[in-house]
Amino acid sequence: MYVILVYDMDKRRVVKMLKLCRQYVNWIQNSVFEGEITEVKLKELLASAKLIMDEETDSLIIFKSRQESWLEKVVIGKEKNELDNLI
Amino acid sequence: MKKSYYLFNPGRLSRKDNTLKFVPVNEDGVDGKPKYLPVEGVKNLYCFGSLDTNSALYNFLGKNQIGVHFFDYYEHYTGSFMPKDYLLSGKVIVNQVEHYSSQKKRMIIARQFIEGASFNMLKNLKYYSKRDKDLSKQILQIEQLSKLIADTQAIDELMGIEGNIRSAYYSGFGTIINDFEMNNRTKQPPNNEVNAMISFVNMICYTACLDQIYHTQLNPTLSFLHEPGFRRYSLALDLAEVFKPLLADRLIFSLLNKKMVQKGDFDQKLNSCLLKESGRKTVMRAWDEKLNETIKHRTLDQSVSYKRLVRLECYKLVKHVMGMQEYKPFKTWW
Repeated sequence: MYVILVYDMDKRRVVKMLKLCRQYVNWIQNSVFEGEITEVKLKELLASAKLIMDEETDSLIIFKSRQESWLEKVVIGKEKNELDNLI
Repeated sequence: MKKSYYLFNPGRLSRKDNTLKFVPVNEDGVDGKPKYLPVEGVKNLYCFGSLDTNSALYNFLGKNQIGVHFFDYYEHYTGSFMPKDYLLSGKVIVNQVEHYSSQKKRMIIARQFIEGASFNMLKNLKYYSKRDKDLSKQILQIEQLSKLIADTQAIDELMGIEGNIRSAYYSGFGTIINDFEMNNRTKQPPNNEVNAMISFVNMICYTACLDQIYHTQLNPTLSFLHEPGFRRYSLALDLAEVFKPLLADRLIFSLLNKKMVQKGDFDQKLNSCLLKESGRKTVMRAWDEKLNETIKHRTLDQSVSYKRLVRLECYKLVKHVMGMQEYKPFKTWW
């Protein structure tokens, strides 16, 4: 499964969220991540995310797609982080 | 699907916030922008540039089952960091040893490897002979040589035939590849572009096999065709025999014939020819795509990636040494 993950959080918790998401998916922009992830790993990520979040005020949105190829990605302006496995 | 990452830039890889942080360093020793690799999505790492790390990172990689393969400046495979074995089975090892130490049992497996290899080589040649390349001489030669495989009684004899098949096969490379000449196969160091490509891609193929063996109960040091102990993970060499024509050689043909790799991607030095970084990157990208390409498997009736095919081959070997099912090498059917 290929996901795009975005969050909007209070600044006191935003760094915690960033660090957590980095373990599972690729950072592409402030508060935005994308990447291949399994069903189980996503559950794991969400469970840990809920511990960080204050569900009254913060939000986390996940866009799911079956495969990366079904997603058309257009970048306008500077691409902050190119996703490539050749570094 | 976890990804393989290929590190070409020199830099420092470290554990940061329970994930991997890579800081590239340029020629002047100035740090670049750090890049975070999601640890849950990393399958293994291939290091071509010099890498700065510490043991804390390796502990972390070990816990996450991530292997690291190292290559030196001249593109030789130098070794791997493998996490602790997690699929242990004494029974399989005992049986594997038994199949090695009995000459008769060992020959059965070794013959199958060569049989598979020569079949796949023939497939490649036949494919190109249908495309107006004159390879009838090589095809005939290999067909005759492969008839001898079944009667061989000793490993040396078998290796001799294998050598002859391979040299006949390589003699066809010049015909298949349009703009390059190959002449004879030379290694250590390769003397022209085609030889450099073969050396590089073969080596990548070994590591891919090793990666797959790691995920089975087989012991990668106990081999049947190659002498164990001659090189460290010799079972990977055995398996690679079967898959080199399919994975490595086809990739070489298409990269060179489609002009994706050109003369400028090679570095001609005194008596040797090596791939430049630009060339290496193109090859690695193509290789990665190739391994993830899927085919419809006949007996399993499902889509299987090339990478998975290597794993299935390992499972077949396990079944053979355990006496459950006779090993039949993978033969391309398309």
